[in-house]
Amino acid sequence: MKGNLHSKEVTNLSDVVRLDKLPEKAIIPMRQHDGIACAPLVKKGEAVIVGQKLGECEGSDLAFVHSPFCGTVDSIELMPNPSGKRILSVVLTPSECAQSVDFVPEKNAPPSRLIQIIKEAGIVEYYEKPTYLALKPGKRIDTLLMNATFPLITHAYLNSLDKVLEGFRLMLEASGIARGVIVVRADDKESIKAFKSAKVNGKPLTVAPIIGKRHADYYLEDVEDQILVVAAGRITYTPTMMNLLSANVMGRKLPLGGEPADAHTVVCGVKSAKAVYDAICEGKPYLENVVTVKGAVNNPKSIIVRFGTPLKDVIEACGGYKGEPGKIIVNGSMGGIAVYTDEAPIVKSTTGIVVQTKEQVLRDETSVCIHCARCVDICPVNLLPTRIASYSDLGKYDECDHLYAMNCIECGSCAMVCPSKRHLVQLIRYSKLQIQNMCAEARGGD
Amino acid sequence: MAFTVSPPPHIKEGVSVKALMWGRFIVLLPLCLASIYLFGFSALGTLISGVLGAVFIELAIQKTFHQKVTIGDGNAAYMGLIIALIVPPSAPIWLPFIGAVFGVGVVKHAFGGLGSYMFHPALATWVFLSLSWPTLMVPASIPQLGSLSDLVLETGAGFLADASPIAMIGVLFLIAKKYVDWKIPLAYLLTTVILVVLLGDPLSYIITGTFLLGVFFIATETSTSPITRNGRFIYGAVCGFLTVVYGYFTGDYISGTLYGLLLSNAVFPLIERSTIPKPFAAPVITHSTAPKVVGGEEE
Repeated sequence: MKGNLHSKEVTNLSDVVRLDKLPEKAIIPMRQHDGIACAPLVKKGEAVIVGQKLGECEGSDLAFVHSPFCGTVDSIELMPNPSGKRILSVVLTPSECAQSVDFVPEKNAPPSRLIQIIKEAGIVEYYEKPTYLALKPGKRIDTLLMNATFPLITHAYLNSLDKVLEGFRLMLEASGIARGVIVVRADDKESIKAFKSAKVNGKPLTVAPIIGKRHADYYLEDVEDQILVVAAGRITYTPTMMNLLSANVMGRKLPLGGEPADAHTVVCGVKSAKAVYDAICEGKPYLENVVTVKGAVNNPKSIIVRFGTPLKDVIEACGGYKGEPGKIIVNGSMGGIAVYTDEAPIVKSTTGIVVQTKEQVLRDETSVCIHCARCVDICPVNLLPTRIASYSDLGKYDECDHLYAMNCIECGSCAMVCPSKRHLVQLIRYSKLQIQNMCAEARGGD
Repeated sequence: MAFTVSPPPHIKEGVSVKALMWGRFIVLLPLCLASIYLFGFSALGTLISGVLGAVFIELAIQKTFHQKVTIGDGNAAYMGLIIALIVPPSAPIWLPFIGAVFGVGVVKHAFGGLGSYMFHPALATWVFLSLSWPTLMVPASIPQLGSLSDLVLETGAGFLADASPIAMIGVLFLIAKKYVDWKIPLAYLLTTVILVVLLGDPLSYIITGTFLLGVFFIATETSTSPITRNGRFIYGAVCGFLTVVYGYFTGDYISGTLYGLLLSNAVFPLIERSTIPKPFAAPVITHSTAPKVVGGEEE
C-alpha cells in the first residue's frame, strides 16, 4: 500500500515520564468523547478526591467522568476544549493531598461484571466511542483488533506491555470475542521487538507480516494463540480510517458508512487496553493517558498526563516553546484541530500535541486546479479528490455522490500534496454532509 | 498568546504550481541552447519572441479584465517556449509572437485560463500557424535520426525542438520527482514503437525531437490529460495510435505527432469519464435501497 501516509512518524522517543507537577487549574470537561454530556455531581467550593466521580449521565453512549486530582471545585462553567468548542467543565484547584477513593480490584469477575467495570471506569476508545459499547456492538464478532499503529503512543506503553496485553486479554474475556489481533506498523521495529519478547498466558506472541492477500485470517488458522500480532504496512490508522484498517488487516472491506462491526471486528486502542487493566486489576477509573508532544518544543517526548491538565502545563513539562509558537495542533498534524488557546485541557480523546512556530504556520493561497492528478495518485481509497471537491464547490452534491464522495476517509493526503493548495478535505467533507442531508430528506419524504 | 486556527492538514508538501511550471521550463533550457548552437542567434530571437508574446498577452488580458496577474506562475512563459520550439528556425521573428498571442490569448484564456483549456495551447497554435502561414511553417527538412550523434545534435532538424533530442533528458528527473506523470509517456512510447515496428517503418523516422517533446511535455500537460490512473495509460496508448495512424499514411511523423496529440486532447474527457475508479468500500444494501439522491423526476 501507500508508504507515504504519515510515513515519517517513527522516531525514537520511548522514555516516558509522568507529569507530576500539579497545574494551577485543572479543567475537567463533562463531555470528553463524542457522546452524551455528563451532569456535574459536585458543587462550587466542594472538596474532591482522586477517583471521585464528577459527572454522571444516562443514556446509551456515555462515559462517566472522574476526578484525576485531589482539590476543591473552583467553578463549573463553559471552558475551552481541544475540540475548539467551549464545553461545560468542572474547574478544580488541585492540592497536594493524595487522598483517593478506595480502588477495589476485581480480577476474577464474570464477563458481564467486567463490562460493567469498564463502563463505570469511563473508558473511551481513540475513536471517541465508549469502550463498553464498542466491545458489545450487538453483532456477530469474531476478532478484536488492537490498533497499535501510532508508534509514539505504542512506544510509550512498551514498558508496561504486560499490563496492556493483560488488559487486551480482559477485553476479549469481557466481550466474549474469540481472538485478538494487534496491528503494528511494519516499520516500527521497536514495537515489533517488544511484542516478540512479550508473553501471554506463558506463551510468546507470534508476529506475522501482512503480505498481499495473506491477511490476519490466514495466520489465525495456523496458530492456536488467542492473540496474534500483525505488522501491516506503513500506515497509521487514524480514527477515520476504519475501512482501510479492516481491509488491509482482515481483508474485509466495510460497506459505505459501516463500522468495523459490520465486518465482524471490533477495534480498540492501546490506551484503552491499559485503562481496562487499570480498571479491572487495580480498580482505578480512567484518569490519565499518554500524550505525545512534538514540534517546536525544547524537549519533545511522550508524557503521561492526567485528564484536565491544560496544554500549556504539558508543553512546559516538555521544556516549553521553542521560538515563538504560532499554532498548537491537537491529535496530529494531518487531521488534528488547531486550538485557539493553550488553556484547553487534555481530555480522554487526546493523543498528541504538535506545536508549530510562527514561521512554520502555512500561509498558502489557493489557486485553480491544474488537474495534475497528484491527489488521485495518493488517495488510499481510489477517489478522484479534485473532481469531488470541484463539484462540491459548485454545489453539485449529487455528482459528488456519483464519484463516491462518501468513501472518503478524510486522511488529508490529497490536500497535503496539492500544488494549488486547495482545501480538498474540507470541500469533500462538506459534500459528504450535504449528501447525508439529501439522503435524510429523501427518506423523510416517503 | 495568539494562535493560528486553521483547518487540517497542517503540514503540506512544498510543491506548488509555480514549481511545476518553472521546473518544466528549466528542463527545456538545454534544448533551447542546443537549438541556438545549431541555428544561430535567430533561434534565440524566435524563442524570446515566443515567450514574450505569451507573457505579454497574459498580462494584457489580466490587466484588462482586472484579474489577478499570474505571469509569475510560469505557465505563460512555458507555453510560449513550447510554441517557439515547434516553429521552424527559418520563420520570421514575429511568427512565434503571433502564435503565442493566439495560444495564450485564445486557446488558454478564452477557455478559462490555467487548468481550463481543452486543447493544449501549443498544439492549437501550431495548427493555427500552419493553416495561416503554410509556407513559413514548412520545415526545411524532416529529420531522421539514424545514429547516436543525431540524438545528440540533429543537423537535419526541422523545428527548433528537433535540434537535440537528448537535451530533454532532464525530464527524467522531473518524472522521478513526480512533477511529470510517468504513465502517459510510457504508454505513448511503447504503443508508438510497437506499432511502427509492426507496420515496418524504420524507428529513425519516429524518434525525433518533436516526438519526444510531444511524449514528455505536450502529452503530459495536466489540463489536457485524464486524471484517473487507468485513464492515463489509455490516453498514452491513444496518443501513440493516432500519431502512428497519421504518420504512417502521410510519411510525416512530425506532423503526425502534433495532429495525433491534438486529436487525443479531444477524446481525453471521454477516457476520463469511462475510467472512474471503483469505490473502495464494499457494496452496501442500505445505500442502494435508499432513495436516489438525484431525485426530482420521481416525486
